[in-house]
Amino acid sequence: MQLDTALLVGTLFSVALYLILQRSFVKMLFGFVLLSNAVNLFLLAMSGPPDGKDSPIISPNSSSYVDPLPQALILTAIVISFGVSAYLVVLLYRLFLDHGVTNACELYHPKSGDTSKGEDAPS
Amino acid sequence: MNWPIVYVCLPLLVGIIGLLWRQPSLARRSFALSMASLLTVLALYHAITLALDSERLVLNLGDWKAPVGITSVLDPLAAIMLFLSGFSALAALLYGMFELSARSEHPLRQPLFFFLLTGINLSFVTGDLFNLFVAFEIMLISSYALLTLESNDWDVKQAFPYLAINLVGSTLFLLACGIAYALYGSLNFAHMASQADSLAADPRLLLFSTLLLLVFSIKAGLFPLYYWLPNSYPILPTPLAAFFAGMLTKVGVYVLFRMVTTVLPHDYSGLHLTLAWVAGATMIFGVIGAVSRNFIRGILSFHILSQIGYMVLAIGLFTPLSLAACVLYIIHHILVKATLFLIGGTVTCLNGTDHLERTGGLWKAAPVLGLCFLFQALSLAGIPPLSGFWGKYLIFVEGIDLQQYILIAAALVAGILTLYSMLKIWLGAFWNPTPAQPLRLEDPRWNLSPPSSSA
Repeated sequence: MQLDTALLVGTLFSVALYLILQRSFVKMLFGFVLLSNAVNLFLLAMSGPPDGKDSPIISPNSSSYVDPLPQALILTAIVISFGVSAYLVVLLYRLFLDHGVTNACELYHPKSGDTSKGEDAPS
Repeated sequence: MNWPIVYVCLPLLVGIIGLLWRQPSLARRSFALSMASLLTVLALYHAITLALDSERLVLNLGDWKAPVGITSVLDPLAAIMLFLSGFSALAALLYGMFELSARSEHPLRQPLFFFLLTGINLSFVTGDLFNLFVAFEIMLISSYALLTLESNDWDVKQAFPYLAINLVGSTLFLLACGIAYALYGSLNFAHMASQADSLAADPRLLLFSTLLLLVFSIKAGLFPLYYWLPNSYPILPTPLAAFFAGMLTKVGVYVLFRMVTTVLPHDYSGLHLTLAWVAGATMIFGVIGAVSRNFIRGILSFHILSQIGYMVLAIGLFTPLSLAACVLYIIHHILVKATLFLIGGTVTCLNGTDHLERTGGLWKAAPVLGLCFLFQALSLAGIPPLSGFWGKYLIFVEGIDLQQYILIAAALVAGILTLYSMLKIWLGAFWNPTPAQPLRLEDPRWNLSPPSSSA
């Protein structure tokens, strides 16, 4: 079970990294979403199997809990990554509206067009 | 003992009130200003009393005890940082008040600014690694929003690398949290510190410390992960740029300081040496970047990097005196850098641009501004009686003591080049006459001669 999780986390990380390094905005977006999922799975794996660790909520009947703390961390991390992804979508859409591109290569190295604003020109 | 959390709740509350109080008006601005002053005075009081009694205020939220619950700690260093964040927020708000009329201010700017302050303050008082992550996220999300709030199409292009690299940085931070939990069984700094020395030989600690180093290098803008900074800061409106330049990277340095001195084992000399060399490279590359730029905000943005190099070098030397020098340098840098950005913004106001080839003659038009700039610039370069000198002096003394001659030489070269690029601004904006177009004093407050109709 631990090995499966480790393999899955590794696969997710490599796929996410591959996607982030692409030039297309949509692929980058998917890359970031996958990356946050990979980390969440990694956090879950850190809690380990239910081996009788104490939890802060004490119930007299059961003694063997999965450690709840990583789950709380994941919940928080999911909310945060949701917010940031939403922002990322809006930013990429704004880039599309402003520059008419869907690809980082075209955005930073336009083939033609105005060269009046160089890379270090202030606004 | 609820004081630590006041510094987080108060700006959060002001931000929420700002969201509800839609229309920017003089009343809303005065309210924000008074709240920022309250935070500053409170932090000053705590910094003085805590430092005199050398004690700390610890708050366990919800009364959950340390390994499980969330702890926030207010010690003298955190109080000093809170004072600096409050003070630079106050300066930024005041500048914003006089730069723009209330009607032309974006209604979301002030709430977002206070959410940013919330994140910064939370990262100073938190005693818990995951809470630190949350603080960083609050800070980053507000900074993304502020960066693109009033931007044009060219600015948005510069904001995207900032977002992308910080997204990767946040993910790595979360990864580090997971590893820390598996390694220490807790995310509480004090709890982790008590176990640090028993884990010194564990190979997983190497992974953990490398990840932390990577994450905080991104946040602080260390070589080779600094590329996002000098392109994104100049697109911000002046008061925000001053606040970002003063506080945001210094949060990274502060947290690095906390991690290296408490959570990680003290005899981890490989990490310290790596930090020192990375800092040396940051100094040199930052200052070379500054020399290559020819507009004020660009030069100042690159200078943030080279100054960060000094602070991290002080952490990397890791002696009691050099750590003290680091704290001194952080205090000096936040104040000086924020002021220089505000002066740069004033130059932009006066001339309509801060491009050095198209400005000039300000020494005659606004001598007080010139004098302010001169003091700050010389202090940044480290000229003896001014504050920048003492931090550098202590770092040099410790470096020579530890026989790190190459790093000290790099620091000296960076200092000389800092002076050179400050002189470039001085000559370009203040001393030289305007070459091509006449000086346009757009702001009547700086206009000493009667306004001419052609200007």
